[in-house]
Amino acid sequence: MVLTGWEAVFFWVFSITAIFAGLLTVMARNTIHSALFLISSLVSVAALFILLNAEFLAGVQILVYVGGVMVLFLFVIMLVNVGSEERGSEEIFNRPRQVTTSVIFCALLVAGLLYAINVGYGGLEKQNAARIKDAAAEQQVQEQNLDTSATGNSRITKATERIANSLYRYASLPFEIASVLLLVAIVGSVMLARTLKQEAAVDDVAPDVLQKEAAREPELAKIQTDSIT
Amino acid sequence: MQFLLLTFFTPALGLVFQEATSGRFAVAWQKAQHPDLSKFLIIGALLFIIGVAGVLTRRNIIVIFMSIELILNAANLNFIALSRYLQATGNVNAVAGQIFAVFVIVVAAAEAAIGLGIVIALYRNKETIWVDEIDILKW
Repeated sequence: MVLTGWEAVFFWVFSITAIFAGLLTVMARNTIHSALFLISSLVSVAALFILLNAEFLAGVQILVYVGGVMVLFLFVIMLVNVGSEERGSEEIFNRPRQVTTSVIFCALLVAGLLYAINVGYGGLEKQNAARIKDAAAEQQVQEQNLDTSATGNSRITKATERIANSLYRYASLPFEIASVLLLVAIVGSVMLARTLKQEAAVDDVAPDVLQKEAAREPELAKIQTDSIT
Repeated sequence: MQFLLLTFFTPALGLVFQEATSGRFAVAWQKAQHPDLSKFLIIGALLFIIGVAGVLTRRNIIVIFMSIELILNAANLNFIALSRYLQATGNVNAVAGQIFAVFVIVVAAAEAAIGLGIVIALYRNKETIWVDEIDILKW
């Protein structure tokens, strides 16, 4: 698995974009800018997925993350609009001592990880060199057997087909559990984001809290009397 | 003067040139032209560290959630790179890493929905999104 030619160029372009966009996500003062930088980081990582022959995952990344999750983030940022941060009157980082400690911790972590990756990959490469060479020849033969695309200048891979097979054959139970998890998440977020009025309408507020709030808002008192009668 | 400069700089330039063609730089340049698994793992590690730094240093709870997304995405990148590496060693059907990445994306979506619900509820009650002002669980 070694990228060559234009693939290598695109690898560097997208990986540098991903890292710089990630850094700017963490460092941007405006939360909207943070979200937009995160989107560009996610799109760059999706491009890296394509370089790794995971086209399906790249599509899912763009559809789910960029199209779903980040739009949710942007909506919440608009709902929770905090102007003081953008005007620069609020500190966006924690106290200096905390920041120093965590940056030192992160630097140690990055040093350890880079060392571990270098050493580990060296050993892995030594162990698998012969197998990779054999497999490369075999794969070239297999690629000749793939169907050609409609334009005739490339071949149709079976990568997505393989993912679907594995997903429904070997991972079908986790798949169902994931759907239940999503259902619970939907119900939970709807429950969490209710207003007091909505909670009072289904009689889900402690009576003393409702009494106190009803003194301020006449509409709540009306709901209260409705629910009693 | 010119002679002096030449005699002084030629060996230095020669050294640089030698380094650039056969020394450590040349090896690094060769490796950079052929990125392999380790490069992907390094990019994943850097994205992970950036996410951790964001979680630890920022005060805005929404940016903390975004940093968590960054961390999960770095994990996905590692999963997919290693899956691709396994495919290159001969297991053509080794897509377990990609399956795992699908589940990571699902859990990330669920986590974002719940987390942002909590943010909205918190903002409604406490009127703040700064995590150091949200201390109602402190005794």
